[in-house]
Amino acid sequence: MKDEPAERLDPRAKVLWRITGLLKLLPLLVGAGLAGWALVRFGGVSFLVGVMPALAVVALGGVVVGMAPGLRWRRWRYEIRPEEVDLQRGIFWVSRTLVPLARIQHVDTRQGPLQRRFGLSTVVFHTAAGPNQIPELSTPVAAEVRDRIAELAKDQDEL
Amino acid sequence: MNSEKHLHPVAMLIGAIKTVRRWVSALVFPGIAFLVSQGFSVWTITLFVLGIVFVAALAGLWGFLSWRATTYVVTGDAFRLRQGVFQKRERTIPLEHVQSVDTVQRVIQRVFGVVEVRIETAGGGASEPDASLSALSREAAETLRRRIEGSSREATGPTVLRRLSVRELLVAGATSGQIGVALSLVAVGSQFVDNFFSEEFIRRLVETFAPNWLMVVLIVVPAGALLAWLLAIAGTILAYAGFTLSREGDFLYIKRGLIERREATIPLSRIQAVRISEGVLRQPFGLASLRVESAGYGEDSGVSTTLFPLLPRDEAQNLLAAAAPEFALDPTLNPLPRRALRRYVVRSIIPALFFAAAAALVSYLIFGAALGLVALLLILPAAVYGWLRYRAAGWVFEEDRLVVRNRSLGRKTTIAPRRRLQSRVVVRSPFQRRLRLATFLARVASGSGGSSLRVIDIEAEAVGTLAENLGPGVRLEGA
Repeated sequence: MKDEPAERLDPRAKVLWRITGLLKLLPLLVGAGLAGWALVRFGGVSFLVGVMPALAVVALGGVVVGMAPGLRWRRWRYEIRPEEVDLQRGIFWVSRTLVPLARIQHVDTRQGPLQRRFGLSTVVFHTAAGPNQIPELSTPVAAEVRDRIAELAKDQDEL
Repeated sequence: MNSEKHLHPVAMLIGAIKTVRRWVSALVFPGIAFLVSQGFSVWTITLFVLGIVFVAALAGLWGFLSWRATTYVVTGDAFRLRQGVFQKRERTIPLEHVQSVDTVQRVIQRVFGVVEVRIETAGGGASEPDASLSALSREAAETLRRRIEGSSREATGPTVLRRLSVRELLVAGATSGQIGVALSLVAVGSQFVDNFFSEEFIRRLVETFAPNWLMVVLIVVPAGALLAWLLAIAGTILAYAGFTLSREGDFLYIKRGLIERREATIPLSRIQAVRISEGVLRQPFGLASLRVESAGYGEDSGVSTTLFPLLPRDEAQNLLAAAAPEFALDPTLNPLPRRALRRYVVRSIIPALFFAAAAALVSYLIFGAALGLVALLLILPAAVYGWLRYRAAGWVFEEDRLVVRNRSLGRKTTIAPRRRLQSRVVVRSPFQRRLRLATFLARVASGSGGSSLRVIDIEAEAVGTLAENLGPGVRLEGA
């Protein structure tokens, strides 16, 4: 197989992923806190046990917010070759996806509200078997990648 | 046929019935309430019957009007359908967008010997056909289909490739493996019986039979299974009776159904992959069924369509050679390396271990004894299943086609040409990396999402070259 794809995502992706991870964990933390409080107050368990669920969520947060984004960013790579789009991602299960440009039906860029704050965008390209995406590229780069994929996909004549 | 045509007059009746059905569903509760509140005097019943007659007459009139308003025509390169009594609608479908022209015969259409024609376009909704003509005579339907599917074809009529015999139909039902679905039906049915009989009755029943509960279990369980099996057979007969696969030019035609006759068209150019599946009950007898994955063909509830429900495995290649030659290939597959076997066995044992642990815990909490550990006996069959999965797995890339085989209960062999592969994915976990193995996945378009050809634990080196070779960079002569 060819070497790793050359391009990386925008470094700001790590910060964005930390924030989204935090936001996702927040309700869980509140729930764990409430459950612990209820256990102490009504279940008669000691304070030490009651604080356990919240601590578990904090530990999970350490992994999700502290470690995962860095590892994920280091693994995520992409490259637009003349004939294929090459993607690599995954922390534990590393997956390598090859999509021939000839199969790409259309490409678009997307930007969520948080992404907009960071000036990041996601490129989504669709094949007949579903979409693939390259997340968290800086918006100008995303536009460039989108246009390049569209341009190359147009030129492919092999079916 | 460049003049506007009407549907067969039976369309009036069908339209009327549709209207009545709609009205009835809206009126049935107010109607019953009215009857109950007024009591059943002669007067109310007369009024009720009059109401029914009135509704029927209105529906008939509506049916006539909408029949008169509905016309269709094929002009130049488009199909045009006009509909609507008050609000006129006109729909134009360019012929090149037409995906398939299917016919369905429900009971009412069968009674009058007409067919419903459904015209589907690429990218159309999955559940609703893009244009539906509720009643056409056979000849009119055939003419329309010919016009739409390309006038260049001469009218030789399709050649029948294979018919499902009655014996094969019964065998297909008996080995369908739909027994699970049927069992759940039986379960639902028995619940219904539960609700139906009074508690008193059930209690007396239990009291009578309690001393002989073993006998009862020995009778009820096989009886339930037998019922489920018969239901599975009946379901297969309903769906597949008279299954006929025929081909004309670049189109495959499938006819099937006992009460509701269905006729489907599959353009060869739309087929993405062919799957030969040998069910658990079928493989020992050397039997298989054929399915096709076709893109944007959503009328069938699943993502794939049955190409032929049952045939001897050895004849599958001949049938494919005649029906879809691009997919007729039966090469020797590359097996997986020895070192993958352990992973296959471990993977199938793990759920059994979890189950045993859970069962042990539950039985300990309830009975105070870890009886659930008996579930550890499951480990041996699980290991055997893992070994069977390992043995069934294989892949090859030959003559520009990828062939992949794997087992999930039944053994499935999937054939897809390289040009149909939408993407390739190679996944490696740390465990796989240590053993120099990887999982390979190739996606083809099918139905709404995609369907994939997957091999778990191929040699890492082989998967690399495979992923490369399947790419667009490599061009074989004549490809």
